[in-house]
Amino acid sequence: MKKNEDAAAKKKPKTSAAQIRVQKDLTELDLPSTMKTNFPDPADLLNFSLTITPDEGMYKGGAFVFSFAINTNYPHDPPKVKCTQTIGSQIYHPNVDLEGNVCLNILREDWKPVLNLNSVMVGLQYLFLEPNADDPLNKEAAIEMSKNRDQFLANVKSSMRGHNIKGVQYANVLAR
Amino acid sequence: MAESTTDWQDRYYDIDQVLNTPGPRTDPAFLAGDGVKDFLRNQAKILVIGAGGLGCEILANLALTGFKDIHVIDMDTIDISNLNRQFLFRQKDVGQPKATVAAEFIMKRVPGVKVTPYFGKIQDKDDDYYLQFNLVICGLDSVEARRWMSATLVNLVDPENPESLKPLIDGGTEGFKGQARVILPTITSCYECSLDMLNKPTAFPICTIANTPRLPEHCIEWASVLEWPRVQGDKKMDTDDPEHIGWLYTVAAARAKEFKIEGVTWSLTQGVVKNIIPAIASTNAIIAASCCNEAFKIATSSAAYLNNYFMLIGTEGVYSYTFEHEKRDDCPVCGGEALDLPISSELTVEQLIELLVEKQDVQIKKPSLSTPTSQIYLQAPPQLEEATRPNLAKKVIELVPEGGEVTVTSSSLPFSLSLRISYK
Amino acid sequence: MSTSEAIDITTALAQPDSKTRRYDRQLRLWAASGQSALENSRLLVISGSATSTSVLKNLVLPGIGHFTILDPATVSPRDAGNNFFLEGESSIGKSRAQEAVRLLAELNDGVEGRADTSSLQHILDTDPAYFASYTLALDLLWADETLPTLVVVNSAGFLGEFFIQFHEHTIIDSHSETAPSLRIDKAFPALLDYATSLDFASMDPTDHTHVPYVVILVRALADWKAAHDGAPPHTPADKKLFKERVQAMKIKFDEENFDEAEAQAYRCWTETRVPPDIAALFDDPQLRALSPASPPFFHLLDALRQFTLAPPHTLPLSSTLPDMKANTTSYIHLQKLYKARAEEDKAAFGPSSRCPSTTPSSTRSSRTRTGSRSCAGRNGARSTPTPRRWVRAAAAASSPKATATHLALSALAALATPHPTVAALTAAAQALLPPGVALPDEFADAVGEIARAPTADLPNTAAFLGGLVAQEAIKMITKQYVPIDSYCVVDLVETWTGIV
Repeated sequence: MKKNEDAAAKKKPKTSAAQIRVQKDLTELDLPSTMKTNFPDPADLLNFSLTITPDEGMYKGGAFVFSFAINTNYPHDPPKVKCTQTIGSQIYHPNVDLEGNVCLNILREDWKPVLNLNSVMVGLQYLFLEPNADDPLNKEAAIEMSKNRDQFLANVKSSMRGHNIKGVQYANVLAR
Repeated sequence: MAESTTDWQDRYYDIDQVLNTPGPRTDPAFLAGDGVKDFLRNQAKILVIGAGGLGCEILANLALTGFKDIHVIDMDTIDISNLNRQFLFRQKDVGQPKATVAAEFIMKRVPGVKVTPYFGKIQDKDDDYYLQFNLVICGLDSVEARRWMSATLVNLVDPENPESLKPLIDGGTEGFKGQARVILPTITSCYECSLDMLNKPTAFPICTIANTPRLPEHCIEWASVLEWPRVQGDKKMDTDDPEHIGWLYTVAAARAKEFKIEGVTWSLTQGVVKNIIPAIASTNAIIAASCCNEAFKIATSSAAYLNNYFMLIGTEGVYSYTFEHEKRDDCPVCGGEALDLPISSELTVEQLIELLVEKQDVQIKKPSLSTPTSQIYLQAPPQLEEATRPNLAKKVIELVPEGGEVTVTSSSLPFSLSLRISYK
Repeated sequence: MSTSEAIDITTALAQPDSKTRRYDRQLRLWAASGQSALENSRLLVISGSATSTSVLKNLVLPGIGHFTILDPATVSPRDAGNNFFLEGESSIGKSRAQEAVRLLAELNDGVEGRADTSSLQHILDTDPAYFASYTLALDLLWADETLPTLVVVNSAGFLGEFFIQFHEHTIIDSHSETAPSLRIDKAFPALLDYATSLDFASMDPTDHTHVPYVVILVRALADWKAAHDGAPPHTPADKKLFKERVQAMKIKFDEENFDEAEAQAYRCWTETRVPPDIAALFDDPQLRALSPASPPFFHLLDALRQFTLAPPHTLPLSSTLPDMKANTTSYIHLQKLYKARAEEDKAAFGPSSRCPSTTPSSTRSSRTRTGSRSCAGRNGARSTPTPRRWVRAAAAASSPKATATHLALSALAALATPHPTVAALTAAAQALLPPGVALPDEFADAVGEIARAPTADLPNTAAFLGGLVAQEAIKMITKQYVPIDSYCVVDLVETWTGIV
């Protein structure tokens, strides 16, 4: 599988602190039914995705997928989280930009090793219940949200069906 | 090299004063005189991790104090910005491996000392390699490498074999501040135990970077965090490549201009994206001397060693604080227990789990099990439970070799439990 | 990018030169001003011992201008074993000053090194002006106002100490980690006008969330004063009410800028004044006797004093605005207001200032006179003035461990014999204390170490002291950061440092 498997085989393998911590975080996740993890390779605990399907609020009915990439310096380094929809299309949210970057304090400036994957996931879900228009990443969406709430709600609905808003093609995220 | 001629008369006149006589606080077990000198000069083997700011100082001090078999590992090559403190290197050495140049310099300057360099990563070496040393000194700036080294030495400890316990001395500096500590793996607090004491690099909210920049740093992060991946796609940013820094600087400067923010410079751009920590020779000298002094005391027992953390703040006067950093029970590296578990070769994974749940002295609720290379059985999330469920019926011996390690986590454990499996 | 060519040229120009790259990691601490001070400094080091070369190494690397090693000795076998700046056995018998200078100078082409094989006594007898050209001298036991700043280092085995004797040390930038005054309680007119002109009620909600806390506080304070005959919140109840009012200005529960304002509310009732340490400097006799010949620092100080005589009786404003929750427009606007006012203050600060490039409000100073301080001389015991004895007695009570080590080292210097006994050292230490004052209990631990290794210049101890002393030297030469103003004692058995 890996290039230096020979060298690795000679060494007595040892579970790293990051690995144990991720195992602990994952097996002790306490997620509501609106969040599900998915492991493309169940043997790789460091790379997976989280799907959030809000059951209330303006994003109800959508399914939003985030990729998680955890490095070997976890939990000193926070997990890298991005919103991933189908390539070339995005989600319409004031705190998620068109590149999939997410503005959530505990993913950057407020990350601490005592936090865990559960706290990050709960934080992400909160963004869909209470989008924050004051500190946006998608400025257009944020302006709409604070200046013209009805239009914003309509845009959210229409973006979730995969429509085009102001020249940006959004992903169809309706939960199947 | 003709080693016999190198110890000229009175070469160790100064050091011998503390090796010939004990002091009032010296452990009575100290055997003053020739025995200890022979051990230090002819038997002790010491490993230095890092040949940078601390490493250069450490190598010089060790060589002068009489360690004659020194190994050094460093994966870096010499950069011009090293020359203000890494005093074994000259302008002509720029681009050469640090470990090699440092080793050659020491051997030339201090006759009779053998320094064996390794230009590469600490992760390249196996347990047998680390087992050959009496002591390890770390002078690194990477958190990740120090976590690895500390964990490796903790895991090396075999309770049956006292020789397997390798004291680790770790130093670090930042500007006028620094710290040195002694780690006795599994006995005192390890590097992982103090992970939450670390200052984390400054990070700014991504929305500030995107929309409300106020500082030059915000413009630089905009260029590196948001613009680089957007414009350059999957191209990896190399912060040592002047062209990449130039691109970031240009983009950041343009943004700063747009927002009327002052202060974006080349040097600040480099500082922010590389997370450069100021470093000076004098602080490195203090911390390296402290590390080597601990190594000398441990190797010779000529005086008690540091228990276990020395912190220095030199920005206002000389302020230092020596204290005992406490070992953490819930440390993922040295906390928790390691249990030798002899089991029947017929035992299935499911039976092993039952055993753990019922075992009087453990009583673990819903344990999840893995080996260093794969998961055996995870209780959650559902997808992983399902993926690992087929293992329940398998025999443990199919998944774990004799003497293999199984990591058990559970919400009822402070952190984790490590099992060493043997078969009856 | 359409202007790529123009940008490429700017980028090329922005790239630092090789000298800047070499010094990059230290310029991030003391900047070009500190570097230039270092490059203009001249250091005199008496003896080429292991400790001396350890200090020098840490000063040659960052780039001092010149160093002289004054040492008539030749390299002994013992020197060749414990000094990294000698070449082992091959240096034995050669001039210690010349060998050390040769190997130290290799570290940095930009530094000039000179070996002087004369003896100190000879210089003192024949050329008293010798010292005048040096910024700093090391290991020279001589107290005279005409000499440069002096560092004295003393060590034996695992123990060591040093002290700095400076006639005057003035710091222009102390790199204080405390935040600059924002003068919220004494808002300057432009700031006050701006804060009172804002209409919070009809403000766009996003803008509302981005009003900098400084503006919120200035406004809240103005409103408060208007309702309280011009007085700021005074009683604890007032202060509590004031904070509640700040919180009540929120239109949404999660407006962080108002939380920041509440956390900083103390600035509204903590009067911005001239800090006491600076006010104390205004009474300095050198200020009253100011003449064109006075050092620049005192001209700066005098200008500062005159500035503070006028309202608002504060130091000139700093133009540095810390980062705070705000949008770009409001933050940059506020920054402009502070910069403009800082410029005005600087202009009012007066043409007499000879240091207009420094930020006057960060001026701090520490000053120590060392007239009564003395140390046992290298050529045998010297009488110790009574005041120093009582200082030691007091130190013995307040920091017994460090004082015990200091007394043991001082006793060793006083005895000046190669193999002193514990009894002789104890008697000598006792003589350093006033009659009737007992040696601290910890003295036995310290004196035992001294008797064990009275002449041992251990490489690790030398390197440790070398680092500490170089660090203090850098602070003094750059006039940045605060150096120690007493004895710094080091115990490398238990690994601690202390101040006596």
